[in-house]
Amino acid sequence: MGLWIDVARVSTALNVLLLLGLSYVWLRNYVQFRSKQTLGLSVFSVLLLAENALAFYVYTWDQIRTAWFATAVPPVAWHAMLALHVLEFFALSFLLWATWD
Amino acid sequence: MEGVLWYVLTGTRGGANRVRLLRTLDERPRNANQLADDLDLDYKTVRHHLDVLMDNGVIENSGDDYGAVYLITGQTRQHWDTVEEIIGKVE
Repeated sequence: MGLWIDVARVSTALNVLLLLGLSYVWLRNYVQFRSKQTLGLSVFSVLLLAENALAFYVYTWDQIRTAWFATAVPPVAWHAMLALHVLEFFALSFLLWATWD
Repeated sequence: MEGVLWYVLTGTRGGANRVRLLRTLDERPRNANQLADDLDLDYKTVRHHLDVLMDNGVIENSGDDYGAVYLITGQTRQHWDTVEEIIGKVE
């Protein structure tokens, strides 16, 4: 399962980077505009950042859970997990591309 | 249109500068060069923001290519209270 966990680590790490970019833009705009819209975008990006940071931590440093993921999770379950991470990566890439304008 | 204004002006990296552009164009129509001078912004930056605002129907230009003058569309005028609300938050 070594490959699966590596792909999971890389995709969640990339998601963290993309979300840092989005959070930077939206939080900065929230400080400036103080509107409901920018607050919504900021809270969304920070919570999704926390989600991906937690996933990256679990896959990388949490020894008990990493061992469990690496030995006890069957490939069919990994495929679904990775599809979620990778789809999120593409979704966030497009969002950052549109937001960095 | 309201959603477009909120998104283009407050949801993106260049939003604050686009608000400044709209405020300046509200006083009177100007071309890209005048806007760059008046707002002390790079000419290319101004062109980029003008293109984004045009793509979203927020402003239009007089169409004479070089030196074209930019002005606020009727659609944006109809929702000017939204723009003012946003402008008020930058000040």
